[in-house]
Amino acid sequence: MTAEEVIKVKHIIQTLLKAKKNIRLYPANNPIYVKTINDTFVVFDEFLNYKDELVLKIKQKEIFYGSDHVYHNPEKENNFAFFFFKDGIRELSFKKGLSKHELEGFLKSIAVDFDREAIEDDIVTLFWEMDFTNIKYIVDESFLTEDEDFETKATNEIKSKVPNVDTFMKAYSDAFNAEDVKETSIINITNEDLHLLAKEKENDLQDKTNKLLKVVLEMILQTESTAELENIYHTLKDLIIYSLENKNLPVFINIIKKAKETAENNVTPDNVKKQINLLLSSVNSEELVRHVCKILESDIDIDENFLNEYTEFLNRNAITPLIVVLGELESIHGRKKVINLLTQVGKKDLQTLAKGLSDSRWYVVRNIVYILRQIGDKRALEYIITAAKHPDIRVRKEVIWALSEFKSSSALVILKDYLNDTDILIRKVAVKALCGIGSVDAREVLLNSVPGKDFLNKELDEKKEFFAALSNWKDPETVNFIIKILKNKTFFKRLRHNENKACAAYSLGLMGNKDALPALYKLKNSKNKLLREHASAAINKIEHGT
Amino acid sequence: MVHKEDTDITRIAKDIMNQFAIIVRTARIHDPGNVAITTAIDKLIAMANPAIDSSGALTFEFIGEIFYVNRMRVGYSMEYFLNFAFLMREFKKNGLGSITMNTTLKSEDVQIFLKAFISSTFSDEPFNALMDGVAHINSFSVGPLQKIKEEKEFDTRKQVKKIYYNAVSYTKEIMNQIKSEKKIDIKKAKRIVESMVDLILQQEELLIGMTAIKDYDGYTFYHSVNVSILSVALGHKLGLNKKALTELGVVALFHDFGKMEIPQEILNKPTKLTEDDWGMMERHPFWGVRAILKFKGLNEISVRAAIVAFEHHLNYDLSGYPSVSIPMELDFYSRIVTLADRYDAMTSTRVYARIALPPDKALSFMIEKAGKHYDPLLIKFFIDMIGMLPVGTLLLLNTKELGLVFEGNATFPDKPRVLVVVDSDGKKIKGRVVDLTEKDGSGNYLRKAVKTLDPNKYNINLAEYLL
Ligand SMILES: [Fe+2]
Ligand SMILES: [Fe+2]
Repeated sequence: MTAEEVIKVKHIIQTLLKAKKNIRLYPANNPIYVKTINDTFVVFDEFLNYKDELVLKIKQKEIFYGSDHVYHNPEKENNFAFFFFKDGIRELSFKKGLSKHELEGFLKSIAVDFDREAIEDDIVTLFWEMDFTNIKYIVDESFLTEDEDFETKATNEIKSKVPNVDTFMKAYSDAFNAEDVKETSIINITNEDLHLLAKEKENDLQDKTNKLLKVVLEMILQTESTAELENIYHTLKDLIIYSLENKNLPVFINIIKKAKETAENNVTPDNVKKQINLLLSSVNSEELVRHVCKILESDIDIDENFLNEYTEFLNRNAITPLIVVLGELESIHGRKKVINLLTQVGKKDLQTLAKGLSDSRWYVVRNIVYILRQIGDKRALEYIITAAKHPDIRVRKEVIWALSEFKSSSALVILKDYLNDTDILIRKVAVKALCGIGSVDAREVLLNSVPGKDFLNKELDEKKEFFAALSNWKDPETVNFIIKILKNKTFFKRLRHNENKACAAYSLGLMGNKDALPALYKLKNSKNKLLREHASAAINKIEHGT
Repeated sequence: MVHKEDTDITRIAKDIMNQFAIIVRTARIHDPGNVAITTAIDKLIAMANPAIDSSGALTFEFIGEIFYVNRMRVGYSMEYFLNFAFLMREFKKNGLGSITMNTTLKSEDVQIFLKAFISSTFSDEPFNALMDGVAHINSFSVGPLQKIKEEKEFDTRKQVKKIYYNAVSYTKEIMNQIKSEKKIDIKKAKRIVESMVDLILQQEELLIGMTAIKDYDGYTFYHSVNVSILSVALGHKLGLNKKALTELGVVALFHDFGKMEIPQEILNKPTKLTEDDWGMMERHPFWGVRAILKFKGLNEISVRAAIVAFEHHLNYDLSGYPSVSIPMELDFYSRIVTLADRYDAMTSTRVYARIALPPDKALSFMIEKAGKHYDPLLIKFFIDMIGMLPVGTLLLLNTKELGLVFEGNATFPDKPRVLVVVDSDGKKIKGRVVDLTEKDGSGNYLRKAVKTLDPNKYNINLAEYLL
């Protein structure tokens, strides 16, 4: 081992440590992941081209290359040597011919976060399943059992058992009259058998959770002593968690369905019923709700029917967890599904649902407003109104759209307030909403806002929005109101008034009302450019529809 | 060697080997010049030549029950199962370790090769005969089968014992943990089974041989390990992959966990069980499920283990226990474990004062119940796996020697290795291992098994001889 070699091996170890981190952090399509694999491969390839083999001896806290330290760490935490040592690995070697594919498998195995992930394999099992050809490891299996000398004891025990009477001679004399060895093997495995076997193996790929459920239900039916069923809650709960971890919603639904049937069955012992009812109510817990929502968020296709069935099992207790989780979801399609769930379940308790309006996350509040709007209940409106002054304009906007659907007088009062909102966007949306309502009362709200200096001082395009909205009502009263504005002759703040007039012209144009033509013609040659242009445009629109 | 699942070349290799097997089979019936053979040869050439052109040469190697092409492992697939098994036997018979196709093949060369291949089988030194036969053609060359050295074999035996007893010791520990309510570490169980799977993939006869020794104290622990070994060996025969074999092995190891709830007095009762005892016994599938479900959370293995624990005493026709109110199809693994379980139980003495059956008797009992108690398909593979002369069988040879089957032979089931204990003069000897595949100078087998006896009848302590 030259000093140069030792330096190289130390570098390899450092590269491995870095790779362990990167592979854990980045998905396989990430450039850093790809680079890490490539870089690590280059380091190995260089060494193996020159030495043919790299053998590392693993101790508890250190790694040796020959008699030289190449890694040392006195701590137990994050110790690269102990990482291998604890599962029994004592030597690790890489041979010339190591492929990138193999190295990637190796790196992926060592990158697994054994502490965090619910993983049932240790590092040796992962290596074993990889079937490496150029990575070898020597394992000490003795730590797997406590009794180190079991073999000696067992063999001594068995050898001493039967008194070693010399019975072979008796056997020998009987042997000549014993049965003949059958000449051929009786079994003939045919192609048909292989075909059937292939089918069996294919069938075996199915999920086994439902089968285990059957077993558990069978046990409930057949157990005489209820003490044996003490843990049935945990058993079923484990099944539920397992099905959800596998993202198998149909199996999950089946479990709760069957559990419910069992609870409703007369022969079921009372303590089992009690446990199942507890289980059924846990369907509404945050833990299970979160699990289900994560499935909804994934790209697994879910049949509507399953969702409907699931909703049937939810009660008002699920509302708060659903709201909590709604705020955690990242994808739009996931949130959409949860919103649908909340719309169904929220009906059962509006008050609880409305608590979501005080959530600190604006988007949750917005979603709750949307849900209340979908529910469409009169009482829902009262709750929506409580969010009217929400500091985030995205929430206020949502409130406006909700209000526009309710159309009641209390909705109009709030919408009227929105016309004076500090944010222009909100004011504009409120105008649009009133327009959308289209009732006489809604028009009144708009008309009443036009006179006065507040309106006069608004920006042109906000004013335009207003008049565009008004054009929606084509009744004489509205027309006259607008024509009156068009004819206004105030000198005071003339420019501002001209803006009003231009907007009025615009509105009349949109209406297409011929009665407005005389008033418009009068303005066609106005000295004010804005007025001139709008009047001409309106005339064109009324006369030619363009 | 590069390991990659099914690369192009390994896929083509599979087809080529399959085609080669077809040709050899046909050539056993027809003359090499026959049309059936020439068309089959043309087909082979059409498959092989493009691959030879692109990779320079194709080398097929047979090492430790595995085929490689150009140093890449050729996986088995179900469709070629029979032909692969056939080729393995052919390679072994001819002492052949590798065939290399050096240049683009011509029909005449293939015919010469074929002729040499077939005729060498009848030679005393088949490999040399084959080598001579192909010496004058350039397109083929052959290499001898690598024999496992005696020393290495001794090591393997030692390792087999170590792994076996390690597994029993582990099983004893976890089964005792069930009573103490400690959490079971499934990672360790996997490691234990993985080492057994490795052995079975290498040389299944050895570990299966270990299951022949019964009569230990603590029947349940040894039984659990035996059932695990037999299940994995059957699973291997059925073509399950490594990972599935581990799963099956762990599941089998756990099948009788429920027995830990049964008092030792009943479990080890030397007399017949009372009705009450049976009532208790019949609960052990339930208790097994319960014990397994006590593990922390569920995972693929514990789910299956629970199912198998519940079903392993249910028969194929759903008779047996526990009775089920909703008919269900038994799990694939349950049907495998049941075969292993009954076979091991029947060939053991300690179960409820029953007399142990010799392996062949146990098998014929099982065959009678095929389709009723046992899956009629799986039992075929099981019998094929156990073989006609399992380890521990007492044999009389045509040389008037008496011996115990010491190690099975997966290729030639009627030619195991035998420990001779009485020589041809009728004198008891210390024990000498002979191989029934050994031949004399003129190509005749030196020994042949003619009679079988039940070792249990003669109080023979197998452990004394086999360990
Ligand atoms: Fe059992
Ligand atoms: Fe059993």
